[in-house]
Amino acid sequence: MDGDLSLATLWVAQSNGGTRADSWTSYRNFVRSRIGILRGCLAGMAAVALVTFIAFRLHLNLSTSGSLYFLIVVMVSVVWGFWEASVTSLIAVNCLNYFFVPPVLTFRISDPQDWVALATFEITALTVSRLSTRVQAQARAEGRQRAQVEKLYELGRRILFLDRRRTIGPQIVPLVKEIFEAEAVALFDATLARLDSTGSTAEDLEQLARRAYFQDSTLEGADGRTWAHVLRLGSRPVGALALRGPDLDRLAIVPIASLAAIALERARSFEKEARAEAARQTEQLRTTVLDALAHAFKTPLTAIRTASSGLLEAGRLTADDAELAALIDEQAGHLNRLTSKLLQMARIDAAEVGIRRERVSVLTLIEDALARLREQVHGRRASVSDSAASLEVCGDREILAAALEQFLDNAFKYSTVGSPISVTVEENLGEVVIAVHNEGQPIRPADRERIFERFYRAPESRHRASGTGLGLSIAKKAAEAHGGRTWVVSEERTGTTFFFALPSGPGRRYESVAG
Amino acid sequence: MSQSQGRVLIVDDESSIRRAVHNTLQGMGFHVDEASSGEAALRLAVETPHDVVLLDINMPGIGGVRACRELRRNLPRLGILMLTVRDSEEDKVAALDAGADDYITKPFNIRELAARIRAAVRRSSASQVDLDAPIRIGSVELDPARRLVRKGGEPIHLTPKEFDVLHYLMAHAGLPITHARLLQAVWGPEYGGELEYLRTFVRQLRKKIEDEPAEPAYLLTDSHVGYRFLEARPEPVEVRS
Repeated sequence: MDGDLSLATLWVAQSNGGTRADSWTSYRNFVRSRIGILRGCLAGMAAVALVTFIAFRLHLNLSTSGSLYFLIVVMVSVVWGFWEASVTSLIAVNCLNYFFVPPVLTFRISDPQDWVALATFEITALTVSRLSTRVQAQARAEGRQRAQVEKLYELGRRILFLDRRRTIGPQIVPLVKEIFEAEAVALFDATLARLDSTGSTAEDLEQLARRAYFQDSTLEGADGRTWAHVLRLGSRPVGALALRGPDLDRLAIVPIASLAAIALERARSFEKEARAEAARQTEQLRTTVLDALAHAFKTPLTAIRTASSGLLEAGRLTADDAELAALIDEQAGHLNRLTSKLLQMARIDAAEVGIRRERVSVLTLIEDALARLREQVHGRRASVSDSAASLEVCGDREILAAALEQFLDNAFKYSTVGSPISVTVEENLGEVVIAVHNEGQPIRPADRERIFERFYRAPESRHRASGTGLGLSIAKKAAEAHGGRTWVVSEERTGTTFFFALPSGPGRRYESVAG
Repeated sequence: MSQSQGRVLIVDDESSIRRAVHNTLQGMGFHVDEASSGEAALRLAVETPHDVVLLDINMPGIGGVRACRELRRNLPRLGILMLTVRDSEEDKVAALDAGADDYITKPFNIRELAARIRAAVRRSSASQVDLDAPIRIGSVELDPARRLVRKGGEPIHLTPKEFDVLHYLMAHAGLPITHARLLQAVWGPEYGGELEYLRTFVRQLRKKIEDEPAEPAYLLTDSHVGYRFLEARPEPVEVRS
């Protein structure tokens, strides 16, 4: 019953000019289909011969033997197909003519009515066998479709059980091959730039899969049994799947490819999840360790500072001794600032996991930052623009104040002594931008990005002010943890301005409440 | 060292800190006792009267905040100074709410610690605060009876609530007042979380009493904790080296 289909395929292949025909394969198919038809025809002929012999010996009349022939033709069409039935019907009509239409044992027909009878027989036989074949074909197609759906369901089910921790490609390729009884399968995963294949002569398939991905389409192989389809998620191509097998067509490969794409995406999202979880755990561990370390540093530092400042305070030291005690005191102070900043950094790192958010006016943040710097600024002032009181941001107050503290500290440290320091705040394109300006030596262009890196200090500042190389990176991390950003503009003429921008987000502006 | 400046109890689980503080404070004329836990401190404070307790906020056992609450309940007039680390603002607020007078951040300069202790000793030895007594700090004068405020002799017009805020802060000059405590004292017990509201008030107040509102000299911000009015200095202002 395959003969019918194979022949049809062959004809289509030949009518396409045979350009893509692999001549050997098509010849083999041709022979195979011929043999199939031959088998049906021979069976039909044998049946016709048998009926002829029996009917002739029993002297059955024309209409009875005609019905018997008709039965044979219908059965051949049911069992083998239209072409076999047609051949059988032609032989049958000739036998009918020769043995049963008078004058018998000649091909001549004396009565014109017999012509009509024979023609009717042939036409009816052909029509009925055509119809029956079509019904058969439909039933077969439905069966194939059902089988296809079952296979797809099976693939979908098995995809759920793939090990998502391992690469998906090598797992899914044999699965597709097994379920769809394909000869070869290849999968191109564009994200990993990886090709996996299984089965015979899979190299061609790999190439085809790669091409399907880059051309973002469905491709058909030279033999007509090989197909490649791009894997898409939404509109985004993520790879391609290529298959070779007997029962495959353009329609079959599309749902297989969709399932493969889903399998890839599932693995990808799992991987992303796992990576995020691992990063979170690492971060948490790092933060905990850093936090514990920083706290552990505070105890000896407190003892050292108490002792050194106590020595100085007691006033019983010689000038040289006092100098040394002052040095200890000063350096303990420096070590303390470094520890505090590490602690702040750890807290910001930890906060990225889950930041506490509240609405707070920018002026409050600036006031907090200035209050924390009170001891270090030695009476120097920063002017704050009026807009600071009316603009609000949403975020962790402590972290944001710590970030601004770094900017202000920086401005106090590196500005020309006695020059003004100003803080301006404005809302611009959905961002609240806080700018801290100071006059002084500009920052070299090469350093403008790097000064925000952890522990980086510009070469010219290393010997000037006592810094830790942490302050600006704290500010940057704090901004980023809130979906904001930091940058610096620095020129000889205008001075240096550090910017801290945060998304202003939804919400109301703060209305000031009069007393 | 002829005469003790006061009796201080240092409570910290770290012996190095106890040793350092003990020796330096003793050198400066204080009488010092030590305790290594909150439980021991409670016992010692009840047995022997102290002027001031220096209480570490992070200790094993009952911990600094609970020890503070117990001490305050038993000894209402005892000066309690918490030893905290920076970036533990919530602990500071908790300690102040538990009845601590003030806090100092580790590592501290001994001179600053000594100044805080002396102030606490003064407060604990002073008679009950007379809430109606006029207060004068720097160039700011406040007369509760007549509800009058002068700055350098010039009268300043304040709204009733502004006056109450200023009065409360000046009556506790030198001490940190948490946002919640200030709100409850002035607006009533149902208040406590209206921080931005309070900040706006303080800004208005600063515009009226400060020379430079952006850089306040009297009405100071204690980051994340609350406000603190400049302490009245009985002795001449020290010049920092």
